[in-house]
Amino acid sequence: MQRFFFNKRLIIVLITLIIGFVLVAFSVTVRNDRSTPPIIQQIGNDTAGLVDRVVSYPISAVGNAGSAVGSLLNTYQENQKLKKQVDNLASEKVSNQTIRRENAALKKQLKLNKSLTNYTAVTSYVIARTPSSWQNQIIISKGSLAGVKKNASVLSDKGLVGRVTEVNKTNSKVELISTTNDNANRFATTIITDDGSVNGLITNYNANTNRLIMGQIDSQKTMKKGDKVITSGMGGNSPQGIYVGTVMKVEKDDYGLATKVEIKPAADLTNLNIVTVAERTD
Amino acid sequence: MRISKIRYYYPLGLFVALFLDGTLSNMFAGAFFKASLSIESRLFILWVVMSVFFAKVEHPFFWAVTVGLTFDLFFTGIIGPFFMLVPLILYLTKVMYSFFTPSFIVVLLIYLIDIALFTLLFYWINVLIGFTSVSLAIFISSTLGPTLAFNLAAFVILYLPIKGLMEMSSR
Repeated sequence: MQRFFFNKRLIIVLITLIIGFVLVAFSVTVRNDRSTPPIIQQIGNDTAGLVDRVVSYPISAVGNAGSAVGSLLNTYQENQKLKKQVDNLASEKVSNQTIRRENAALKKQLKLNKSLTNYTAVTSYVIARTPSSWQNQIIISKGSLAGVKKNASVLSDKGLVGRVTEVNKTNSKVELISTTNDNANRFATTIITDDGSVNGLITNYNANTNRLIMGQIDSQKTMKKGDKVITSGMGGNSPQGIYVGTVMKVEKDDYGLATKVEIKPAADLTNLNIVTVAERTD
Repeated sequence: MRISKIRYYYPLGLFVALFLDGTLSNMFAGAFFKASLSIESRLFILWVVMSVFFAKVEHPFFWAVTVGLTFDLFFTGIIGPFFMLVPLILYLTKVMYSFFTPSFIVVLLIYLIDIALFTLLFYWINVLIGFTSVSLAIFISSTLGPTLAFNLAAFVILYLPIKGLMEMSSR
């Protein structure tokens, strides 16, 4: 018995296990706090981020050259298609501008300085993606020095991609909306239907079909395939009006009581190079 | 006495391999993280395992803990899993090494055992902390299989270059 307890190797293994699991429990618990990570962890992460940039630079350069050649090959068809869209776009832009001006004037009359749709945008590029099946996470190149804040929404050029979970000085971690993490903050979303809007939460993600699952639906209004889904700005983290995706299917949940909506995400979560962090300004 | 170059090359290669994992995962995210298939690139484990056979490294466990902590801090933000798993894999490899003489096939088999165990334990930890709720059967078909295949291919391609580099700089 005595021999067992004084076995040096066993004690090292046990202590490592205990320290390891305490650390895991600790970091999962404090993950959603506003004050984490502590400054020491930030310094470590910033150093790692710097080294990562040096390592990833040549590889990204080669990759970008490859995709440039790829896009050159279908330039002709793309050009034809885009030409048709350009005329449309100009008139839309003008009407947009008018509406925006009118909106600003009306807000001024109402003495409404800030509303849920206002946000500041910080553009950054993606340094790396966590090489793990279980953390749907990317690391972006801007941190608290550039004004990134925890829990801010992150969008690509097409739509919502995720939220900031950890902010260091010069880089941040972004948890993608495809996460199935139980502890993740949920996005409050609105479906714009023909007879008004329907509120709910993004509650899950189905990886097999690439569909977001929206639950906690608050009304019985009829939704149909193709309805647009945007963030509702409720809950205090995301600004209002960020495009999430389109409704694909509306059905009852497994118990036949609540409504469950399947949403096709607008953003391609596997092709992220440049993302924008949208920090609410209200 | 001349100081062998592996003292500098080993940590350098280790961290380059670590960050390469992240960069490759981002570059080829479309191929790595598909609906029914996800690949976890583990080049730095390849570096650690190869070093057991072909390099004389000072303080291997110190570097294993350091690289594990870096992964946890920088990539996942959950401190602990890699901090425990990387030294464990290093220890297991050392134990298995004592029974065999290294050849291409032997190192390959040991590396496959390491990756399989590593992926399984990492999955188990993530189930415990609620990051995934995938069943074991789906895990084996969609993550373990592709991960083993990718890392096997990486091993076959990188075996000779890494072996050469390590043996040369260990002299």
